[in-house]
Amino acid sequence: MSVSAPPRHVFGREVLRQLKDIVGETGLLSQPEELLVYECDGYTIEKQVPDVVVFPTTTDQVVRIVRLCHELKIPFIPRGAGTSLAGGSLPVGGGVMISLTRMKKILEVNLRDRYAVVEPGLVNVHLTQNLKGSGYHYAPDPSSQGACTLGGNFATNSGGPHTLKYGVTVNHVLGAEMVMPDGEVVTLGGPAEDNPGLDLTGLFVGNEGTFGIATKIWVRLTRDPAAYRTMLGIFETVEAATQTISNIIGAGIVPAALEMMDQGIVEALEAAFHFGFPLDAGAVLLIEVDGLEVAVDSEAHTIIEICNRSGAREVRQANTPKERLLLWKCRKQAFGAIGRLSPSYCTQDGVVPRTKLPEILKRITESGLRHNLRIVNVFHAGDGNIHPIILFDERDKDQVRRVLEASDEILDACIELGGSVTGEHGIGVEKISFMSKLFTPADLQTMLAVRVAFNPTNLCSPQKMLPTAGACGTEQIERTGVRAAM
Amino acid sequence: MSLPTLAAFADEFTPASQSELARFMAENATIQQRVLYPVGGRTALHYGFPANVPGVAISTSKLTQVIDYPARDMTITVEAGIRIETLAEILKQERQRLPIDVPQAHRATLGGIIACNTSGARRLGLGTLRDYVIGISAIDAAGSLFKSGGRVVKNVAGYDLCKVLVGSLGTLGLITQVTLKVRPIPEATRWLWASFSDFDRIEPVLQGLLQSATRPIAIELLDPFAATEISAEARTELPTSGPVLGIAFEGSQRETDWQLETVRHELEAHRPNQLVTTPESDTEALFNALTEFEIAAEEPVTFKVNMVPSRTVEFCKLAAGLGVSLQSHVGNGIVIGHLPDSITTVQAAVACLDTLRAFARKSHGNLIVLDCSEEWKALLPQFGDAEPSWTLMQRLKRQLDPADLLNRGRFVFPAFATGSA
Repeated sequence: MSVSAPPRHVFGREVLRQLKDIVGETGLLSQPEELLVYECDGYTIEKQVPDVVVFPTTTDQVVRIVRLCHELKIPFIPRGAGTSLAGGSLPVGGGVMISLTRMKKILEVNLRDRYAVVEPGLVNVHLTQNLKGSGYHYAPDPSSQGACTLGGNFATNSGGPHTLKYGVTVNHVLGAEMVMPDGEVVTLGGPAEDNPGLDLTGLFVGNEGTFGIATKIWVRLTRDPAAYRTMLGIFETVEAATQTISNIIGAGIVPAALEMMDQGIVEALEAAFHFGFPLDAGAVLLIEVDGLEVAVDSEAHTIIEICNRSGAREVRQANTPKERLLLWKCRKQAFGAIGRLSPSYCTQDGVVPRTKLPEILKRITESGLRHNLRIVNVFHAGDGNIHPIILFDERDKDQVRRVLEASDEILDACIELGGSVTGEHGIGVEKISFMSKLFTPADLQTMLAVRVAFNPTNLCSPQKMLPTAGACGTEQIERTGVRAAM
Repeated sequence: MSLPTLAAFADEFTPASQSELARFMAENATIQQRVLYPVGGRTALHYGFPANVPGVAISTSKLTQVIDYPARDMTITVEAGIRIETLAEILKQERQRLPIDVPQAHRATLGGIIACNTSGARRLGLGTLRDYVIGISAIDAAGSLFKSGGRVVKNVAGYDLCKVLVGSLGTLGLITQVTLKVRPIPEATRWLWASFSDFDRIEPVLQGLLQSATRPIAIELLDPFAATEISAEARTELPTSGPVLGIAFEGSQRETDWQLETVRHELEAHRPNQLVTTPESDTEALFNALTEFEIAAEEPVTFKVNMVPSRTVEFCKLAAGLGVSLQSHVGNGIVIGHLPDSITTVQAAVACLDTLRAFARKSHGNLIVLDCSEEWKALLPQFGDAEPSWTLMQRLKRQLDPADLLNRGRFVFPAFATGSA
């Protein structure tokens, strides 16, 4: 199922030679079989191979590549680890894919001023591993943190379980060195807070690669919590669990993380990890509080009380750090365990106001019944960020059609309940069609104006995020298949 | 404080609704093309370059509705003209708050503080407005009402224009409605103050605090003059025998008590001159006095400096040596300073600010003027040294306001449209 707009540029040998001059023989892939790996990211439905993949190792090389593309009017697109779930790194229209994975150095760690400077290809978890023992860490922790890069996190404003308390990527980025779509290098922000002028750093986080390429990022480092209490609340029904979430948040408690897993996903996790999850429970809540040793017990106590009052069958506590890590491993690898349930799956990333969780979960169940599909749930409940996982077999065309309908229904319901269609995965190419449901033409016109300010030729990551055709005018991809994830 | 620049506001318009404002602005864009000056509570009119071109002040004083307050979602959607004090009272009924320190909260409006990116001592532990504005509606110079973000706390659909409107000084759009993430009001707030014989003693204390078992939500550094003034204003005792460090905690009674005791022991190792615990009954007045410090002065120039935190104490030492009365959010590398009365000429002010700015520039920062007399404004770089990224800002401004109608010439972009008036 591969569809894309036809490339409008001419990609000849001469261009390849010039690119080789910049990155060397080993910094470039152009054989069809080599390019296959780069035809999609974690969103596997729409596919398009780039004409060439280059692997720059310095900002200067990125600049020279981008300048060349700019001069020859060739589309180009940055790529990190390719874990995006929305097709953010799909090279629509082909062109030059700029893979940043060889720019992965930690350039500076400054604990006194609580920041680190990193290259965009650095894997998220490698930064935190590097900081181990320092008393600091990098807070945003997407489930894919073992693979995803900080440049990718920057481009998509990544979240993760612990962003409930600590905030998403944008709350932890201080600045960035950007190679703009014409090759100009501009530094936004930096190690100091509150630089005069507009907060372009904040605007550029989450630009999905459409404003340029970050080649250096200043990130905020966060003190490690002194203590954790990790709990597993076990509920008979999904309704009781979601009501509990609403009660916890409504009581003014902001846990470090608050995740929900329903029976279907718990079954898969238990089969995979043998943690001892109860297989007959309707849903479990993974709740973590962190902070000072003197504070966590009373917070945990309050949460346990709320759980019990809201109808929990049982609340277990993780007794050792090892148990805690295993619980989190289960949660973060939940998507990996889905393979045990069905050959294919598709997930959505909608958000609703937190008090609307019981309602959206009900709507998801109804959607599943209506379309005769099995849907399981594992998600960032504290943020109201759902991840319904629809199970199916992609060889069955009718199932595929029903999956698409159910997905759209669920996202429409999120909008109807006052929410959004993406909490952390991004719009990419996958959800472009929802932008005009979420935003008015005037909203989209303003966003387009913003993009034109930084990317007037639209050669940098064309056909992403905004439904309006840009200056380049290539056709929008038609969605033909099913969205898949992770 | 100097008198605000009102001379250029030949006219004023106070829309009763967002749609009325949009119509007015659309008509203005197509016909008169007058320059528009958004005003909220008029507490920061002195900020930025003066309004040199005659135009129309747009007052948001009637845009004060609460659109939606689902307290259990911990978000609130309000119109931008709501006063901060009013907003705080509404939130307080649900034991919630927007934890941003705002001077003159009884006058300042939400739209105004967002346009100015107002912040204070709590920013160390609780962040700034960019961390709380999750949805925004604004009207661009052509009269088109646009929004970004939404009403949910996590959302990556579309470009995050909330971020770029925070601190935009009304130059990209007139903010009409805002959705905020709010926080619970903590059970307790505590302050501990320590004075030291000189500034050189402070940096080791700060380095110690970075590894402290406690988690302060504010760390303030005051010179003795500022401490005296704030102490008098708050009617609470502060040590004033040398540079003074204040450390604040918020949370449950138990955790704040424990942190206060713990940090007291940690500080004692640094042999302070004096240690004072602020009585709990005085903490609110003290926060207010700290917040009002930046506007409380009669001095000729008030400035703000940003830099990396590690250089801040040294900067304070330099500035205090020049007679500057100062308050520093020292954990964030921010310093608010008032130049001394002894500076009576603009040349002297320029010389003094040049010295201070040069230090800030070497420390990854800059220096902006928060307030000075009208006549001095043109001679003092209000937003510090230009940065290469300002050209990108200019490109954005030209896209969103091609006729340069919104707050022309008052921010980091020089006026680029001429001829209309």
